[in-house]
Amino acid sequence: MIETQNLTKQFVGRNAVDNISFELKRGEIVGFLGPNGAGKTTTMRMITGYLPATAGTVRVAGYDIFTDSLKARREIGYMPESVPLYDDMRVKEYLTFRGKLKGLRGAGVSDNVNRVLDLCTLGEVRNRLIGTLSKGFRQRVGLADALVHKPALLILDEPTNGLDPNQTRQVRTLIGQLGSEHTILISTHLLNEVEMICGRVIIIDKGKIKADDKPENLIQQLRASGALRLEIKAEPTVAQKKIAAVPGVRRAVQELLPDGWLLYQIKVDPGADVREALHELANSHKWPLRELSLRGVTLEDVFVELTQR
Amino acid sequence: MRTFLILLGKELRSFFLSPVAYIVLALFMVISGFSFSQAITLLREKPSEMSIVQWTFYPRWFFFYFFFLFPLITMRLFAEEQKLGTLESLLTAPVRTVHVLLAKYFSAVIFYCVLWLPNLLYMGILHWVADGRVEIPTGPLAGSYLIIFLSGLFHIAIGCLASALTKNQIVAAIICFTLILLHFLMGMFLLLMADNYPVEMTGIVNYFATTQHMSYFTRGLIDSRAIVYYLSFTALLLGTTHQVLEYRRWKS
Repeated sequence: MIETQNLTKQFVGRNAVDNISFELKRGEIVGFLGPNGAGKTTTMRMITGYLPATAGTVRVAGYDIFTDSLKARREIGYMPESVPLYDDMRVKEYLTFRGKLKGLRGAGVSDNVNRVLDLCTLGEVRNRLIGTLSKGFRQRVGLADALVHKPALLILDEPTNGLDPNQTRQVRTLIGQLGSEHTILISTHLLNEVEMICGRVIIIDKGKIKADDKPENLIQQLRASGALRLEIKAEPTVAQKKIAAVPGVRRAVQELLPDGWLLYQIKVDPGADVREALHELANSHKWPLRELSLRGVTLEDVFVELTQR
Repeated sequence: MRTFLILLGKELRSFFLSPVAYIVLALFMVISGFSFSQAITLLREKPSEMSIVQWTFYPRWFFFYFFFLFPLITMRLFAEEQKLGTLESLLTAPVRTVHVLLAKYFSAVIFYCVLWLPNLLYMGILHWVADGRVEIPTGPLAGSYLIIFLSGLFHIAIGCLASALTKNQIVAAIICFTLILLHFLMGMFLLLMADNYPVEMTGIVNYFATTQHMSYFTRGLIDSRAIVYYLSFTALLLGTTHQVLEYRRWKS
């Protein structure tokens, strides 16, 4: 659905997007992550044809966004980051205008406008002026606008930005539903959101792609070289030596808890699972053991690991 | 064409649903009505070489209010969209930049034409009240409307360009007014020069001087040089505006 090749955007003195290539297949929901200023919005603007690339190409549904721009743009439903809307128009009127502009005709206009009004639960505000709507409603009007012409590809730039938790959940559920009919590229800062709805994640930083995989795989990779938590009651110096000697343990940090128990934060080698060995060690020395756990790794850890300097 | 009409409809709607349009319309009617009644008073007091049409469309005080119209009409066209960010959603929809430009331009032109309609009504009312005793020459009337329309096309194109250059409506209005005034003063300057060098300057003056055009057309003299001048400059200005809009996409 999207193919980008060696996409580069230079602004004066810096590369906002530096030679990135990726592909979206029909029906995928892809999360596009990265710190602020990483180049997410710039990339999305290049895909939608608002900004031309300095180098490289973008193809949407097989059409080059630069040379075959109108055909490519008909396939895209784009919701820009700030959700720009005309404040002096009414919701239904605005969606009708946008629908016609994007090529809907005749009965198709009102059918589709009613469809997206229902889909985005905008029925109650259909005749309100957009300028009087709350942030949550504006966001949904923006989403309805992106959906009105049934585009094959949805590009959503931070669709849940600035919403309260309930609204975020509503929008997330909606996007999840849309996944069955559209290919979606969504940028966001909310990582748990991505874990829930995206089948694939692209993480970029400083204009370069740092990771491009399923969220489970990314988490798996990090967890493999992850951390264990162990709480026992034992003689500190002996226990420290014995634990450090277990094969697969890279480093064990000891801490004496106020209630007399010892806490170990254990880093293990990639791929190693030392939980059984640790249990047997504790057993053989008759050390009481009250906790032995693999710390849950989230996408957030992956994100921090990849983008922190 | 369809896209253009949809956009034109939207632009016209936002013109005629905004209070600013009615304030401009009302103010303009007050000023032009006052101007018209002054013309009648003057004509009643003493004989004049100028007809009622000339007194209406080209009195001495005409340019004091004429040039203020254009910044008011054009300042929001592009500046507002750039400020709100709606230019991004507009230009990522399947529309050509030229459609957007022409829709905005012609919506302003149509609004400008509506502004001048009451004047036609004044003439009709005068004719009716005076029972045909005041001569309203049709040739000069047609000429006046033609030159008002032509210079409107030209000056609105200047306003379009000014509005595309900035996000700030006030700045757009100032740029627009400055450019219009510079163009006018240049014409005046050439006209003054022509007093000293009549032969050499006549050619340039006939092309450039706004006041000269007004004086010809309001007397019913349709001068094709002015028509060519205004139309070609309008095309040039719109072409430049198109480049400015496209260039923004390249730069930002």
